[in-house]
Amino acid sequence: MNFVALLIPALFLGLFAFALVKKVKLYDCFTEGAKEAVPLILSVFPYLAAMLILSELFSASGLADMLTGFLSPCFEFLGIPPEIAPLVLVKPFSGSGSTALLSELFAAYGPDSYIGRCAAVAYGSGETVFYISAVYFAGSKKKLARPIAVSLVANFLGVVLGCLLCRVL
Amino acid sequence: MNAVFSAVFLAACLLFLVNDPNAFLPAMLKGAEKAALLALSLLTVYCVWLGFFKVLEVSGLSEKLSRRVRPLAKKLFRSDDGIALGLASSNLSANMLGLPGAPTPLGIRATEAFLRKNNGHAADMLFVLNATSLQILPTTVIALRLAAGSASPADIFLPTLLTTLFTTLSGVLLLLLSEKFRRPHRRHGIGQSRLSFKRSMRT
Repeated sequence: MNFVALLIPALFLGLFAFALVKKVKLYDCFTEGAKEAVPLILSVFPYLAAMLILSELFSASGLADMLTGFLSPCFEFLGIPPEIAPLVLVKPFSGSGSTALLSELFAAYGPDSYIGRCAAVAYGSGETVFYISAVYFAGSKKKLARPIAVSLVANFLGVVLGCLLCRVL
Repeated sequence: MNAVFSAVFLAACLLFLVNDPNAFLPAMLKGAEKAALLALSLLTVYCVWLGFFKVLEVSGLSEKLSRRVRPLAKKLFRSDDGIALGLASSNLSANMLGLPGAPTPLGIRATEAFLRKNNGHAADMLFVLNATSLQILPTTVIALRLAAGSASPADIFLPTLLTTLFTTLSGVLLLLLSEKFRRPHRRHGIGQSRLSFKRSMRT
C-alpha cells in the first residue's frame, strides 16, 4: 500500500524534474494542458447525464431488483453467490453505485467471507462498461453494440472465473 | 446504445407508472444531479492530468516512452497514426498503474483520433481494453476491505489479477472473433447493416 501512495507524487516529481532539465516552461505548459479540461467536460456532459439518469431509473424503478431475482438462479448455477448478483448487474452502469453495494456487502457478510471475497473480485476485475462507452464515444455516430456486448460478456465470464478462484485460492 | 437506452428507459417508466408515479421525475433529476456533480469532480481530475500529460508531451518523454511499445500498439490497433497510438499507449499505462481518473481524458482523445481516420477497429479495441479493466493493483477494493476490518485486505490481489487478465484477454479475443464473423454476413446478403455501419463511421 505504501508503494502505491508513493507512486503518484514520485511520478509528478520525476516528470517535472525531467521537464525542467529539458528547459520546458512548466507553468505555461501545465496551464496549456489544463485548459483542455473544460471543452472535454462540455462535450462529455450530455452523455454522462443520459447514462446516470438511466442508471438511476434502473435502480430506483425496482428494475434492477426484478432482474436480480430473475437472474439469481442462473448465477447460482454458474457458481456466483446470488448475494452479489446486484453488484454484478449495477457495475456496468455505475461506478459509485457498485462501490456503495460493495461496502454494503462487506458490512453484511464481512470482507473475509466467501461472499465478500467474490464481491471484491467481481468489483475489481469488472469495469463500468456503459459509462466508458458513453464517455469515449461521446458524439460519434459509431455503432457500439458489438464492442459493448464483447466487454459485457468478457466481464461476466470474469465474474464466473473470479468466484471459482475465490473457492480454490 | 440507442436500443439499451430505450429498453431500460421504457421498462423503468412502466414500473414507475404501476408502482410509484411520483418518484419518476425525482429519480431522473437525481441522475442528472449526479451527472453534474460527477462532471465537476471530473473537471478537477482532468485539469490535473491534462496538465501533467501536456508536460509529458512537451518534454519529449511521452515520445520516448511510447516508442518502446509502438510496434505492439501498431499491431493491436492496426494504425499508423503516431499521435493516436501515443495517446492510446499512455491510456493503457495509466490504466495499469491505476492512476485515478488519468486514463479517461487520454482515452477520449485517442478514440477521437482513431475515428477521425475511420479506424473503427482501433476505437473498439481501445474501448474493450478499457472496459475490461487492466488495473494491476485494485486499490479501491483494498482500501474498502481495510475500512471494513479485513484481516488481510490485500489477499484479494492474486484472484483479482488473474481474473482481470482473463477478462482482458477474452475481451480482445471476442472482439477479434466478432470482427472475423462480420464478413460472411455481407456475402449472405445481410450486408445492409454493415454498409450503414461504414456510412455512420464516416460522419
